[in-house]
Amino acid sequence: METKSDYADKLGLIYEMIENSRAQIRENAFFFLLWGWLVLIASLIHFILMKLGHYHSFLAWPIIMTAGMVISVIAGIRLGKKSTYRTYVDTAIIYLWWGFFFLILVVLSFAIFGLIPWHILNALIIAMYGLGTFVSGGILKFRPLIIGGICSWIISLGVFFVPGDYMLLLVALSIIIAYLIPGYLIRRSVK
Amino acid sequence: MFEELDPLLHSQLRLAIMSVLIGVESADFNYLLDRTGSTRGNLSVQISKLSDAGYILVEKSFRKKMPLTTCRIAPKGIEAFEKYVTVLQSYLNRQA
Repeated sequence: METKSDYADKLGLIYEMIENSRAQIRENAFFFLLWGWLVLIASLIHFILMKLGHYHSFLAWPIIMTAGMVISVIAGIRLGKKSTYRTYVDTAIIYLWWGFFFLILVVLSFAIFGLIPWHILNALIIAMYGLGTFVSGGILKFRPLIIGGICSWIISLGVFFVPGDYMLLLVALSIIIAYLIPGYLIRRSVK
Repeated sequence: MFEELDPLLHSQLRLAIMSVLIGVESADFNYLLDRTGSTRGNLSVQISKLSDAGYILVEKSFRKKMPLTTCRIAPKGIEAFEKYVTVLQSYLNRQA
């Protein structure tokens, strides 16, 4: 005959197993830091070369972003192979950022074909990665990402006040707030 | 009259496996081994029992030429687990 304490032990085991699985916070910082630094470098190189009068200054973007994609895909495959489990949070984050990537391609095609000016594209990109950061923050329950996302939306409104060329500096500012600062905070919190 | 507790889930290790799988989308054999603290042989037997009952889905594959067993909870398993917890709680409440 089982006693009340046996039943309580069973419930205790269930809670312990569920909590242990949830408690393993993933090292999500890598991708935020990678893209944070790449976007920061690309936007500053583009801005500086443009001010120095280089016609092809925009090439900083396709070169650096392609490198970022290659590194991300390799790192993603390696992480997937190393991981012994997968949570619903992982899946949600993966779908969110792949969705963001394809959305960027769609919006980029509008700019390439001249349907939207480049400085508007910069504002749209800031607002879009603000969404990615905001939703990631909500899913991971990490406030700096949520704040970073909100700040990105506010910074994207700079398009109303800042001359077109200087939107690149706002891209640099927002990536520091939305990716780099939260990225380093995630890394610190996991250690 | 108390509802009977599912005997398949009443085993300590099987309940631990189900509790881990309810919180994740999928987990491989080594993760379950680490979380439950079981032995390989016992874990393998209990996974088979849960799989035969349709409570979990087991996928066998290879990673770096090594066999890889990945488990995920099945809809029938979620239903059974939720019922088990409800019955367990009702036992505790009645005995209080």
